[in-house]
Amino acid sequence: MDTVFIGEHLTPGHLGQFFIILSFGTALLSTISYYFATTQTDKLDQSWFRLGRLSFYINTISVVAIGCCLFYIIYNHLFEYHYAWAHSSRTLPVYYIISSYWEGQEGSFWLWTFWQAVLGNILIWKAKSWEKPVMTVISLSQVLLSSMLIGVEVFGARVGSSPFILLRNAIEAPIFSQPGYLAFIKDGNGLNPLLQNYWMVIHPPTLFLGFASMIIPFAYAVAGLWQRRYKEWIAAAIPYALFAVMILGTGIIMGSFWAYESLNFGGFWNWDPVENASVIPWLILIAAVHVMIVYKNSGHSYFTATFLTLLSFVLVLYASFMTRSGILGETSVHAFTDLGMFWHLVIDVVVFFAIMVGLLIWRWKELPINKKEEETYSREFWMFVGSAFLALSCLQLVIVTSIPVWNAMFKTNIAPPANPITLYNFFQAGFAFVVTLFLGFSQFLKYKKTDTTRFFITTLVYMVVAALVTGLIIYITGLYKLKFVFMLAMFGAVYGILANAKILSEALKGKFKLAGSAVAHIGFALLLVGALIAAGTSKVVSQNETGVIQVKDFDKAGDARENIMLYKNQPVQMADYKVTYIGDSLVAPNHYFKVDYKRYGADGKLTEHFVLKPNSQANAKFGLVSSPDTKHYLLHDLYTHITAAPIKEEENMAAGTTEDGHEHEANDDKNYEPPVAYEIGLGDTIRYREGYVILRSLNKQPKLQNIPLTGSDVAVGAVLEIVAHDIKYLAEPVFMIKGGNSFDFPRKVADAGLKLRFSKIIPKENKFEITLYQQPEREKAYIVMRAINFPYINFFWSGTIIMVIGFVMSIFRRNKELKVV
Amino acid sequence: MKKSSILGIVVIAIAIAVIISTYSNTSTYGSFKDAEKTQDELHIVGHLNKGKQLYYEPTKDANYFSFYMLDKKGEECKVVFTGTKPQDFERSEQIVLTGQMRGKEFHASKILMKCPSKYTQDKIETTEATATKQANI
Repeated sequence: MDTVFIGEHLTPGHLGQFFIILSFGTALLSTISYYFATTQTDKLDQSWFRLGRLSFYINTISVVAIGCCLFYIIYNHLFEYHYAWAHSSRTLPVYYIISSYWEGQEGSFWLWTFWQAVLGNILIWKAKSWEKPVMTVISLSQVLLSSMLIGVEVFGARVGSSPFILLRNAIEAPIFSQPGYLAFIKDGNGLNPLLQNYWMVIHPPTLFLGFASMIIPFAYAVAGLWQRRYKEWIAAAIPYALFAVMILGTGIIMGSFWAYESLNFGGFWNWDPVENASVIPWLILIAAVHVMIVYKNSGHSYFTATFLTLLSFVLVLYASFMTRSGILGETSVHAFTDLGMFWHLVIDVVVFFAIMVGLLIWRWKELPINKKEEETYSREFWMFVGSAFLALSCLQLVIVTSIPVWNAMFKTNIAPPANPITLYNFFQAGFAFVVTLFLGFSQFLKYKKTDTTRFFITTLVYMVVAALVTGLIIYITGLYKLKFVFMLAMFGAVYGILANAKILSEALKGKFKLAGSAVAHIGFALLLVGALIAAGTSKVVSQNETGVIQVKDFDKAGDARENIMLYKNQPVQMADYKVTYIGDSLVAPNHYFKVDYKRYGADGKLTEHFVLKPNSQANAKFGLVSSPDTKHYLLHDLYTHITAAPIKEEENMAAGTTEDGHEHEANDDKNYEPPVAYEIGLGDTIRYREGYVILRSLNKQPKLQNIPLTGSDVAVGAVLEIVAHDIKYLAEPVFMIKGGNSFDFPRKVADAGLKLRFSKIIPKENKFEITLYQQPEREKAYIVMRAINFPYINFFWSGTIIMVIGFVMSIFRRNKELKVV
Repeated sequence: MKKSSILGIVVIAIAIAVIISTYSNTSTYGSFKDAEKTQDELHIVGHLNKGKQLYYEPTKDANYFSFYMLDKKGEECKVVFTGTKPQDFERSEQIVLTGQMRGKEFHASKILMKCPSKYTQDKIETTEATATKQANI
């Protein structure tokens, strides 16, 4: 038990663990202090308030210190710590150390507490009279989050999971009984190659900033109910809610872009439970923002605004429960596994859910609910209806994604839908149609009351124009092949763009206030247009038509033959392109496959030529991991990725060393078909399966390494020109007589699938014997790849950017309206 | 009737429709025997029969991969997947298939497998392979 281990650096871990406990303690103290500061009646006593602030400051400092300790450990490759060992390696470049930081659950929890601490400080600075109640809620959330990192046993159950746990404590293995075990642990597991992407450096922080900032509207709602400041909290919370929506939306789309650029499922959105988990709270908060604005402008829908705001943060916690507890198990590819925090995460959800329900019941009678009916022709009414539909779309996501949760709760055994993507697309397109339609025509309505005849005329005119434009788009892109609901969604999106463009043009003339929402709406609708076309009409260009039996219902997956095999240097016609696998380049640890695309015009002229380099990494830990490469055009993308290739890890490790195997000569011949010897003269040609070989000349002084030639020795090189599939290679096998014995040195031309020997000189006939070893077809290098054409995907990305700009404009506007007291 | 009550009814109606459609669209977990009885796609949990050969010969057909799987009841069946062999398939310790029976073969449209990581015992990795996802949004 009392083994003294050699070479361990325990200080950073102890220090880190100390700061974890400190951050937990100060968060707790801050919660209690702010609570009493809020409830106390003596307004002159500032002691609780000061204590609350002070402990939150210390909390912030300790959270930063935890981060520093963890960074020190990973940066210095201290593999005695499980976290460093599991998520990083010596070969990892510094900028990816940052991504390895949040590969694990503990790191991502830390990121969340970090952002929450930053936001807390901003609120201390900005919130003024709201500070006490709002900070009580934020500190409480900080308590629960930092408890996730504690990793201490309490009553036999481990609470949380610490990033500073030692390897020898985390894993049981006989090796850890040796004092010098550390000497055997040379390197860590390394970072999953898929995360070695620049988007992975920036996507998680953005996403977690989004999640963290969703506490602010929640905290304001709680504060409003608690302090009976029912009406005021809404105006104060709107800018923060907009900020959260903007950041979370950006984070989600960044993840989508990362998936598109470096994952191989062939798309930008997969309705994976992990993706859904981040969209669910986002949609609810968007609905909440709209209803909050409704309340602010009309005094209607108070309960819905409060309810949705509170719900959005509870759903953030529910999402983190789903992705982190391991409950998704069999339904998701990239959910975290259970770290023993299942009930801890449940408690987190339950606590905040109880706060929400408890407050609403407690204050129910006092809520300023407007008993008067909304006008049918008023903007607020349709904004409200639209928000209800957003919430419904979210409900569908929650119900389907939570199937494993229902199973766990009701002890059932329901499997997720066999084709979840089709199901989600169908429903979400339907909801998107309704929502976009509303975000279109509600622009023509005014708050409170609108002149109906004028409204109907403008709405109708825009509808007709939108229908025409939609018809044109559907015709050009081939969207008509899909279900009707997708065409409806397209119509809604186009209508939304047109209606909001009108508002934008008016706004630019003077009513600049309205520009923000119009821009955000245009961005959102544009995003939908891009998603619908790109996902709906994407086409696999590598479809293998040969020998396919046409199956009637093609969307019963399983029969499309989407992969194409390419032998090295053998061009294959693939849709409009002539595609050739021309070679490899190795930049350890990545193996890039060069795929040459050529496109010819009708007249046979080369119109386009480019090389894509999809890569694979034969990783010891993660197996073969492939990343696609994409050719971006203005109006479409051509996406290519490797689905199978005969590469091994060792091969990659030997990157850069040239093959020159004298020792394996005998074995090596087995890789070829039986040799054929040819007697030829200068300038003669040998034909073989893939091309021909010409004996150009003889080289009397070939270069031979480490073999000194004495007077009577002779060495001659045969200069051979090889042409295979229109590509020229040169090779010079050497024939040598040394000390009366003859030797020869073969040369390989891997790309032409050849090994060549200069096996004999026949001086009488002035002929030379060249022995040809051909590689059999199946031994030759090949790749199996899939190529997909994504039309108009740039609408999707540009829509996102426009939407974010719209949010920024709205934040500035709402912030200006606000006079914080 | 008040507008808000109409709206409330509409919202509730849609919510119920969503729940019913979700329930009717869910699949079931079953065995190969169940798969023989039905035309619907279903999920089968089981593990690879490592004693029998995996067949994937990209030089002959890059889109054909077959293997033998034992379901939870121990019944064996040949499984055909139209696609490439998922990496590290040999190492999988649990497989979840989605698909249907065609004759004596089970045609999988989706394979989800769990692999024990080579080095960490405390972590299970999951990967997924899908035969096709295009053109059926």
